[in-house]
Amino acid sequence: MKNMLNILARRSFQASRMRNLIAVLAIMLTSILFTTVTTIGIGATESVTLTMQMLKGSRSDGDFHNMTAKQYKALEDADFIRAYGLRMPIGFLTNTSYHNIEFDVLDSVQADLTFCMPVHGSIPKAENEIVTSDTALRDLGVEPEVGATVSIAFTAHGQNYQLDMVVSGWFEATSEQLSMMWAGTAFRDAHPDIFEYTYDQDRDMAGTYYSDFIATSTVGLQENLDHWIWQMGGDPDATNSDNLSATINTITNPTLKPTTLLLGAVIIVLFILCGYLLIYNVFDIAVMQEIRRYGLYRTVGMSKRQVKKLINQQALWLSCIAIPLGLLIGYFIGKITLPYMVNMLSSSYENVAIHVNPSPVIFVGASVLTAFTILLSTKKPIRVAANIPPIEAFRYVEAATSKKTIKKSTMGTSLLGLAWSNLGRNKRRSAFIIASLALCIVLLNSVGIAADSVDIEKQVSYSIRTDFVVVNAVSKNIMKGFTRREHGLGQKVIEAINTQPGVNNASAIYKNTLDDSYITYNFPVEFTYTGTDENTGIGYAVTEGGIVFNLGDDGHPICNVYGMEEIALARMDIQEGETDAHKLYRQMENGEGVLLGVASDMGTSILNPAFDLLEVGDIISVFKDGEAIMELPVLAKAALNGDDEEIRYTTHGPFEVGKDGLFLYLPTSIYTQIYDEPAIYKYSFDVEEKQQETIHAFLENYITNVDPRLSYASAKEARQDAMTTRTMLQFVGGLIGIIFGAAGVLNLVNTIITTILARRHEFATMQSIGMTTKQLTRMMIWESVYYAVGACMVGLILSVILAFTIVKTLTGGIWFFTFHFTLVPAIIVCILLLMVAAILPVIALKIFNKGSMVEKLRVTE
Amino acid sequence: MMDIVTIQHLKKFFKDGPQIVKALDGIDLSIEKGKFTVIVGASGSGKTTLLNMIAGLYQPTEGNVIVDGVDLSQMKEEQLTVFRRRKIGFVFQGYNLIPELTIKENIIFPLALDDTRPDTAYFSNLVHLLGLCHYLDAYPYMLSGGAQQCAAIARALITKPSIVLADEPTGSFDIKTTQNVAGLLKMTAATFHQTLVVITHNLDLAQLADRIVRLQDGKIV
Ligand SMILES: Nc1ncnc2c1ncn2[C@@H]1O[C@H](COP(=O)(O)OP(=O)(O)OP(=O)(O)O)[C@@H](O)[C@H]1O
Ligand SMILES: [Mg+2]
Repeated sequence: MKNMLNILARRSFQASRMRNLIAVLAIMLTSILFTTVTTIGIGATESVTLTMQMLKGSRSDGDFHNMTAKQYKALEDADFIRAYGLRMPIGFLTNTSYHNIEFDVLDSVQADLTFCMPVHGSIPKAENEIVTSDTALRDLGVEPEVGATVSIAFTAHGQNYQLDMVVSGWFEATSEQLSMMWAGTAFRDAHPDIFEYTYDQDRDMAGTYYSDFIATSTVGLQENLDHWIWQMGGDPDATNSDNLSATINTITNPTLKPTTLLLGAVIIVLFILCGYLLIYNVFDIAVMQEIRRYGLYRTVGMSKRQVKKLINQQALWLSCIAIPLGLLIGYFIGKITLPYMVNMLSSSYENVAIHVNPSPVIFVGASVLTAFTILLSTKKPIRVAANIPPIEAFRYVEAATSKKTIKKSTMGTSLLGLAWSNLGRNKRRSAFIIASLALCIVLLNSVGIAADSVDIEKQVSYSIRTDFVVVNAVSKNIMKGFTRREHGLGQKVIEAINTQPGVNNASAIYKNTLDDSYITYNFPVEFTYTGTDENTGIGYAVTEGGIVFNLGDDGHPICNVYGMEEIALARMDIQEGETDAHKLYRQMENGEGVLLGVASDMGTSILNPAFDLLEVGDIISVFKDGEAIMELPVLAKAALNGDDEEIRYTTHGPFEVGKDGLFLYLPTSIYTQIYDEPAIYKYSFDVEEKQQETIHAFLENYITNVDPRLSYASAKEARQDAMTTRTMLQFVGGLIGIIFGAAGVLNLVNTIITTILARRHEFATMQSIGMTTKQLTRMMIWESVYYAVGACMVGLILSVILAFTIVKTLTGGIWFFTFHFTLVPAIIVCILLLMVAAILPVIALKIFNKGSMVEKLRVTE
Repeated sequence: MMDIVTIQHLKKFFKDGPQIVKALDGIDLSIEKGKFTVIVGASGSGKTTLLNMIAGLYQPTEGNVIVDGVDLSQMKEEQLTVFRRRKIGFVFQGYNLIPELTIKENIIFPLALDDTRPDTAYFSNLVHLLGLCHYLDAYPYMLSGGAQQCAAIARALITKPSIVLADEPTGSFDIKTTQNVAGLLKMTAATFHQTLVVITHNLDLAQLADRIVRLQDGKIV
C-alpha cells in the first residue's frame, strides 16, 4: 500500500487549484528569467563568435603551419586532436581584377572548418574541379554556376601556370576582398610538380602542409601543441615561425574575463533572489494554510519524512508543469530580444550573423538554475510543515477565532490600525513581499538611469567627424584594415560624389601603407628592443614604455602618415601648440612642420600620456630610400579619435602599418610631395540636411552596382548605433524589471488571497458584529496599500543610494555614458504599484469572499 | 492484572503569555489492560492534556508516562510517531477524516503509512460492526456526522492498537447517535481486547465505563 501517499499527494494536489496556479506562475516566472537570460547570453556570444570566426575564416580550435608531409602524417597519431583538415597552399591567382583569390588544395574537413564548403553544387572530385565564391567567379568573368569553366593563372616554384577548371560548387562570399578557391586532392596528385617541397630552401609555400584542427579537449591545449612540436623537431618558443608552428584560435577559445564572469554571477544571484522571494512565499503560505492538516497527518501516524515526501512530490509535479512552460516562453522572449542585443554589438562588428538554436545548454542550464532555486526556497517551508506537531490537529478551535482582533475592533480601533496589525502577523512574509517589489523598483530605475546616461552625441562625435566617410571595405573589417596601396579609393568615386547635390566640406584623405615602407621617419625617441614579427616578417622597435613602431626598409619607423585638405584638418581636436587650424595649415604647407596626433582616452580630449612621446618643437626627419629629405618640427598636437585613425572604432589598418605611432598629419601638398604613389584611404564630407537621404541612397546604389569594394560610414548610422545601445538597455532592463515586477505583484496577490481565505471566518465574525462589506474591503485595501507604500519607500531610497554608488561607478567606467540622475522610472513604477495594490483586494474579495455570512461562519466547524 | 498505562507525578504547565497554566498538576494514575476508563471534568480541567500525554503528543513538565512498559519521554520524535501509529488509536472530537481520501482509504491510511496491508478478515469485521459497508468508496463529505465518526473509529482501530484514546467522540451528536457510537466503541474494544480511554461529558457513556476518573484543576479528585 505504498502508493497511498501518492494517492494522497495526487488528490490534494488536484484539490488545491488556486495554490497550484500561483505556484506554477511563480516557478514559471523564475524559469522564464533564467531561460531568457541564458538564451540572450549564449545567443549573443555564439553570434559574435561565429561572426568573428567568419571574419577570421576559421572555426577550428587552432591550426598548424608549415608542416612537411611527414609531420602532417604524424597528426594522425596525435590523440589530442579529434579532427583535422588538410590545406596545401599554392598561392594567389594572378588573373584577378579586384578580388583576391587564394588557390589551395583542401580536403572537406578543412573546407568545412574554414567556411569554404559549397552551398550550391558539390565538393571537387575530379582533378580539374574547383569550389569558390560567387564574387571570385564574377571577378574571373564567370557567372556562378555549377559546371561553368573558369580560367585561372598562378605562379608556383617560379613557374607560371594557366589552367581551365570546372566549377563543381560555389558559395556566397563572406568577404568582399578575399575568397578561397580550392581543388581536391585529385588536383595535387595530377600536379606533383606544383607540390614539390622546397620550403627549406626557397621559402615557397607550395608543397607545405597546413591544417586546421578540432581538439579533443581545449584544456591544456597549448601544452599539448608545444609538446607535439618538440616531438616533431620544431621549437614552439621560436619567435621566427618560418618553420613548423601551431596557434590556438583565440576566437573559438577566448579567455574568459573575470569581469564578465562576475557580471554573470551577479545576474544569476539576483534572479535566484527574485525566484526565492516568490517561491518561498508561495510555499510558506500554502503550508501555513494547511497547518491543521499536517497536524492531522502526524496524529494518524505519518512520519516527518513522509510529510516531506508528500510536499516534495507536489513541488515536483508543479515544477514539471511550470519549468517546461517557462523554458518555452523564456526561449521565445530571448529569441525575440536577441537581435536587439546583437544590434548593439554590430556597431563594432559588421553583419553579425544572428545565431540562436534551441541549444540544450540553454534549457539544461535554465532548468538546473530553476530547480536549484525551487529546492532552495521550498526547503524551509517543507521543514516547517514536517515539524508541525501532531497537536496542531486539535488546536483548531482556538486558532480559528482570533479573539484579540475582534476585541480590538469592538473597542473601536480604526480600520487602518487593524490593517496595520495584520501586516505584523507574519513579519518575514511582509518583508519578502516588500523586498521583491522594491527590487523591481530599484532595478527599473537603475536601468532607466543607465539608459538616460547613454551619451549619444559623445558617441557620434567620437566615432565620426563628418556626415559621411567613404572607404574601402577593408577599413571596416576589424580583422584587416587599410594596409595596401591597392586599397586606395579611385578618382572615379570621388568625382561621382562631388557631382551629388548638397555635398560640402569634402576632403580626400591620404594615408601611407605597407607598400610605402621606403619612406621612414626619425625622431628623438629611444628604442630598447627590436625584432621581426613572426607572421608578417616586418621589423619592429619597442620603447621602454612598450610602445611599438613598425620599421621601414632603412630601419627607421614607417609611422602612420596622413595627408588632407585644410577643411579636414580643421575638424581635428588640436590640443597643444598652434591651435589655430588655419594658421597651422599655412605653416605646414610652407614645410614648417607637422601636426602630431596622440591617442586619447575614449570620449575625452586628454592625450594618453603613454603615447605622448614628443614635445611641440621636437624635430622629425623624413627619409626616402634611406636619405634624409626633409625636417618637420612638431607644430601642434591633436587628440585622436577612431575617425582620425581609420573609421568609426576600427583602427586595424594603422596598427598593421605603423603599429602604435607616430600619427602624423600633413597638408595634401606636402604629403604628395613625400610619397610617390599617394593612396587615398578615405573621402569624408558633409551633406546638407535635405540631401542626406539622397546621398545614402546614392552610396548604397554605387556600392552595389558600381564598386562593391567600397563601404561607407555615416553620422546617421553612428547615431542609430548609439540609440540602439539605449533602446537595448531599456528593452532588456525593462523586460527583466517587468518579470521582477510580475513576481512582486504575484506575491502580493497570493498574500491577499491567502489573507481572505484564511480569515473568512474572522471576516464573517466581524461582519456579524457590524462591519460592512465596504469597511471590510477598505481594510483589505489598506493592508495591500501598506505593502505597496513600504515597497515604494524602500525602493525609492535604495534607488537613490544605488544610483549614486553602483550605477554611477558603472556608467563612469564606460566612456559613452555621462551619468544623468533620474527618479522618473521609479516614480512611475511606484504609482503603478499603488494602483495595482488598491485594485487587487477589491477583485480578490469579489471572487473569494462569496457566500452568506452563515456559510462563512460554518467554515471552521 | 497488568497496567498498560502508568502515570507518575505527572505535571504539565503551559505558558500563556506571562502566565503559567498548570494544565496537569501532579497526576498519578494506572490504567488496567482491557478496561474501559472514562475521564470527566469541567472545561479546562486538563482532560485533553492528559489524553495527549498518554499519546505522547506532549513532553511532560515533570513526571513520567509509561505505556506498555516504555517511558515515553525516553523516545525520539520518529520513534514516537511509529509508537503512535502502532500502539495507539486516536478518535477525536470532530471526525478529522482526510477529505481527499475515500472512507476505505481513510481507514487503512495508518497501515499504508507503515507499508502494511490490512488483515482482510479484521477489516471486514470492523467495517461491518461499524456499519460502514456501503460507504467504503464514498468521500467523507458525503456521509453523516455519525457515519464519519464511525469511520474515524475504524481508522483508530485498524492497526489493532493496544490503547484507544477518544476525546469527546460524541461531542456534537444527538442522543441516539451518541448511544450508538458509545456502544460501538465499547463493543469493538471488548471484541478486540483493547484498552479504552474516553473523555466525555455524556453521562450515558460514562455509565458504561469500568472506571471513572474525575479531573479538577489538573488533579484527580
Ligand atoms: N497548547 C496549550 N498552550 C497553552 N495552554 C494550553 C494548551 N493546551 C491546553 N492549555 C490550557 O490548559 C488548560 C487545560 O486544557 P485542556 O484542553 O486539557 O482542558 P479540557 O479539560 O480538555 O477542557 P475542555 O473540556 O474545554 O476540552 C486550559 O486552561 C487550557 O487553556
Ligand atoms: Mg478538551
